[in-house]
Amino acid sequence: MIRRSANIILLLVVVAFCYGLQVSKPHYGDLIGPIPARGKLGDTVVGRAFEVHAEKVEFARNLKVDQFGQGKVLTTGGVWAVVTVEFAARAQSTVISVASWRGPTGLTYDQTERLSFMNGLLPVAIDPGLPRKARLIFELRPDEANNATLLVSEKLVAALDSQAEISLGPVPIAADGLPVGTIEMLDMAQPM
Amino acid sequence: MLENAGSRLKAWTVAGVGTAAAVAVAGVLGAFEARHESLPALAPTSRIETGEWLLRPLKAYVTAEKYAYGTLLKPGGKALVLELEMTNRTAKSTKDYFDVLQASRKIVDPATKPFIALTRDSTMSPELHPGMPERMAYIWQLPDGATAPASFDLTVIRKTYKARDNLYGLPGWFNPTPIGTMTIPVGAGPDSADIQP
Repeated sequence: MIRRSANIILLLVVVAFCYGLQVSKPHYGDLIGPIPARGKLGDTVVGRAFEVHAEKVEFARNLKVDQFGQGKVLTTGGVWAVVTVEFAARAQSTVISVASWRGPTGLTYDQTERLSFMNGLLPVAIDPGLPRKARLIFELRPDEANNATLLVSEKLVAALDSQAEISLGPVPIAADGLPVGTIEMLDMAQPM
Repeated sequence: MLENAGSRLKAWTVAGVGTAAAVAVAGVLGAFEARHESLPALAPTSRIETGEWLLRPLKAYVTAEKYAYGTLLKPGGKALVLELEMTNRTAKSTKDYFDVLQASRKIVDPATKPFIALTRDSTMSPELHPGMPERMAYIWQLPDGATAPASFDLTVIRKTYKARDNLYGLPGWFNPTPIGTMTIPVGAGPDSADIQP
């Protein structure tokens, strides 16, 4: 009798222990997620295969681009954010393919696909010893500009690989709802 | 034990035959077929929430131009264009809008996939960003010789969020389910007025 109740108690303890493990341990998706390499604007953030250095962030209401010899103005319902970065490969050539802008509330804005014809956008191939500048262009809601984080990785699914997380710092918002220093037209033809 | 074996056997046989007959009758009457509930009608002049998207239909028309929002149409063919405002309700940029709207089989060949373009600058199927409404155009090529209908039916399909899928343990939107149909009037042309402000 005592033996049987001891067995039942042991079984219940094991069930409770397993349940505790299930709810408290990180899930598979968290375990194989990207490995963050953190830094801030102006720092050189070093990942496994690449280094990235974010130089400046500019905000604009419109972008002026050159498409096959024709000038074109790209408008947006929010605001354009253009981050000028410098990439460097570490030990071997690689390609930086993905960048996103994570706002203060966690909304994640991928790099815009509306300028796919333009040079100097991702994906960017980089080689060791040959640092290369690039522009990361995002279309975002003005209220997501403040205290944002720039996420840069080599692949879309950066499982168990480095992802640079660059905090871009506070951005004051002007009375018109746009970030302070937002210019009317940013010319993408000017050198970086 | 054995004195009433005959009556027990009889009882089992009757119960078994009765059950089999009941199941067979139910099957013949259609109890095991999928239920065909008619989908609720959605008002085209409303905002429709599909999980990932908030839709606001604006106008529909048939065009015979060579290009509709940068999309090259078949020579001599016509295309049905639906313009609507789409807002990404999720926390990430996405382009998971290819299956949100299904045009009625009466008007569009079900094998025809629509071209989806941003009306702002005719970008083909760009990612839409969280919380930023954009005007999009769905462009269905009509079968050869089709005439412009006065209105057409659309089935709206929603997806459900799962924090962890069963394969990769990652979040995503799954299980497309139709939530309703709506009838959209087809206007005269690209310049017709929006059906809602």
